[in-house]
Amino acid sequence: MADLFDIPFEEDPGPALASPAQPRPQRQVLTVSELTSGIRAALETGFGELWVEGEISNCRVWNTGHVYFTLKDGGAQVKAVMFRSAHRYLRFKIEDGLKVIARGGLSVYEPKGEYQLVCEHLDPHGRGALQLAFEQLKRKLHAEGLFEEGRKRPLPALPRKIGIVTSLDGAALRDILKVLGRRHPNAHLVIRPTRVQGEGAAGEIARAIAAVAQLDGVDVVIAARGGGSAEDLWAFNEEVVARAVAASPVPVISAVGHEVDVTIADFVADLRAPTPSAAAEMVVSAKEEFCARIERLQGRLHAAARAGLQRRRAAVHLLATRRGLAGWQARLAMQGRHIAELTHALRQSGVALVARRGRELQGRRTRLEAGEVRRRVAAMRGRLVAADGRLSAAARRRRDRAQARLAALAGRLANLSPLAVLARGYAVCWNADRTEIVRRATDVPAGERVRVTLHDGELDCEVRGRYGSDH
Amino acid sequence: MDPTIKDFESASAELEAIVRKMEEGDLSLEQAMELYERGVQLSRFCHAQLEAAERRLEILNDRGELRAAPAAMGLTPPDEGGKTR
Repeated sequence: MADLFDIPFEEDPGPALASPAQPRPQRQVLTVSELTSGIRAALETGFGELWVEGEISNCRVWNTGHVYFTLKDGGAQVKAVMFRSAHRYLRFKIEDGLKVIARGGLSVYEPKGEYQLVCEHLDPHGRGALQLAFEQLKRKLHAEGLFEEGRKRPLPALPRKIGIVTSLDGAALRDILKVLGRRHPNAHLVIRPTRVQGEGAAGEIARAIAAVAQLDGVDVVIAARGGGSAEDLWAFNEEVVARAVAASPVPVISAVGHEVDVTIADFVADLRAPTPSAAAEMVVSAKEEFCARIERLQGRLHAAARAGLQRRRAAVHLLATRRGLAGWQARLAMQGRHIAELTHALRQSGVALVARRGRELQGRRTRLEAGEVRRRVAAMRGRLVAADGRLSAAARRRRDRAQARLAALAGRLANLSPLAVLARGYAVCWNADRTEIVRRATDVPAGERVRVTLHDGELDCEVRGRYGSDH
Repeated sequence: MDPTIKDFESASAELEAIVRKMEEGDLSLEQAMELYERGVQLSRFCHAQLEAAERRLEILNDRGELRAAPAAMGLTPPDEGGKTR
């Protein structure tokens, strides 16, 4: 094997890589370092500034902030690096699969003998860097669920203390103040001024949102900026702003640019207003809706109370005037008493009769010694006792029947709906002997007794005084 | 104010529930009276809150301090609309 390598060197030294133009009387042996630095010089000066188009793969960000990747096309690939100093100006994120045009120069990493493209700048192929950055961030936050409808909070029912994040001298603030001043005059507004464009504006906006949203009592935050170019509105497309909006403890309304401008902040915000004025209108209409709702509820409350009173008045009226109903309980009691008295009288007369006959017989017995007489008397007494028993039983049966009928009648009456009302808390007031219902306070003088029927019994009451329109 | 009323959201929600209940009827007189009184209380609370707030305009600076905004920038009442800028 050694021969094979040696021979070409003997016969033909060939062109030296390092300096082909130099005359070479004898072979020159280079160290690896010399060779590598020669290659490096040749590449760096030979190619100068380059634009290379290719697709990114094997992309890796080191913790030093430098980004290493491979740029490739269908047939070849070249290693590439973008140092932190250049990378920080890049708006979008370097990702595998991205087609870019890289600007930079070739260099050699001597310890490894590798050449690579050192990129100063990358341009996405076929679209703007901002467009790409927008899409990348949108995709990322969407994947995190930050745009989900379920995260969106409604405006408070009555927005009173409103935080406004915008530039102090912008048209946005002027528009918002105009609308709120006119239609929500007792609002409490807290403005947190911030730059809304330029380097570092995004961070300022994010801090401003966080600061004003945390103020005690602020119930909604408007983050606003007037119209401008896509570059002007860019701060509202930055991740730090989106994160601040998402983290806000109170609802955030985004109001950036004109109706056609859509920013990442709009996707994350709880509400998106097409313009700053529209954001103020949203707050105002929430407040107006609240007022109208309270008015409506108040009207309904009074109407319901009135209707309830009328219904009750009608029910009481019906109860008092239903034909035959007045005095029903008194009449029932009267009948019951009548039957009891009748029964008693019957029994009394039967017993008296027996006693009288007994006394007569006793008198005769003393006069008549004959056993036959005594036997007849005994027989007679037996008949009388039996007759008395039959009489009482018949009377008792009549009474029981009457009572059962009365009980059934009372049960039916109790089921009549006006009486069922008693169970809900109504009472019926009677005169002292329960023959008439008291309808007017003036019907009963102080000191007089009345009876009050409740659903489970009656009260015997004394009128101690009267109140009313004409007392 | 009434300690049983927390804020508008709960006050207006409670008022809404009371009105519904009363509209359904079928209440005893005591219940109806009680609900009505509570309803009036709640709607008074809401009105009072609406009117209690006063117009204020403040600026929160980056040191976290609140200052009243310059009058020139203020919320100009409708009848002085021309002076806003």
